[in-house]
Amino acid sequence: MNRISVLFHFYKPFIVSSMLVNVIVGVINPNIAATLFTKLGLVIFAWYFMTQTTHKNKLTFYKNLSISPLMLFSFVFIIDSILTIGSISLLKAFN
Amino acid sequence: MIIELDNVELHFKNKRILGGIYLKAETGKVTAILGRNGCGKSSLLNIAFGNLKPKYKLIRIDHKPILKPLYKTGYTKYLPQYNFVPNGITLSFLFKMYDLNWDTFVENFEGFSMYKTSKFRELSGGERRLIETYATLKTKSEIVILDEPFSHLAPLHIDAIKKIISEEKKHKAIIISDHMYRHIIDSADTLYLLQNGTTKKIDELKELEAYKYLSEGSLD
Repeated sequence: MNRISVLFHFYKPFIVSSMLVNVIVGVINPNIAATLFTKLGLVIFAWYFMTQTTHKNKLTFYKNLSISPLMLFSFVFIIDSILTIGSISLLKAFN
Repeated sequence: MIIELDNVELHFKNKRILGGIYLKAETGKVTAILGRNGCGKSSLLNIAFGNLKPKYKLIRIDHKPILKPLYKTGYTKYLPQYNFVPNGITLSFLFKMYDLNWDTFVENFEGFSMYKTSKFRELSGGERRLIETYATLKTKSEIVILDEPFSHLAPLHIDAIKKIISEEKKHKAIIISDHMYRHIIDSADTLYLLQNGTTKKIDELKELEAYKYLSEGSLD
């Protein structure tokens, strides 16, 4: 349970920027597959940025809870994909 | 539990940092690593935890090789030299996630009672270090790795942490490294000196002078 709370806590700062991307994509071209593909690229970029800079120090906090960087970013992508599919479907319904 | 680090070899570019390493730690004992700046102590601890991938390494727990990073086994907690708790996390969240009791902490460190809902970024460097050291030591685990746990701490807090180390070692294997050699000598049951990329087990404290880690007469 603690690990799930920590994973959601890690995802929290990504929510606003992710929703912004959803709205922009939803207005321009509400295509779920293309949006998920873009999100995957952004998550890979965030992973690379975090593991290759001094930000990697903060990963020790999660590693102490046996959460690997792969698990962290996979969780971010899965949760974000669910929210993306939901929000783009909603935007499509209003278009 | 017995943990052994063996045959560790680490290179940065073409320079050999570590080679010929052997270190054994076990439940009930504090195993300390001493060494000069830049000798590879932190690298060795990072390798043990799984943060750094060397050219070769062999980690055994109870004589069985462990192939995945130690942090993935759930046995180990690690205090690195740097602050590892994210700035935006509150102390109450940290204590909840690490299964620690806030009231017990405040009993030992009364000055912190007002910080329960504070975020980490609001604390001073020494306060952060104390909480990170406490959390690493007290969280449920089998192996604790501490890299410079006494840095930035007030003398009173150093004594408190030494007391916690001696309590926690009863059911944990503790590996520790720090430049404050007097505190290390006080706390340690087994001492290793890391020099020229290899570990040397220290049986007599005078050997630290003989190996020129300490100047003559430092231990008198």
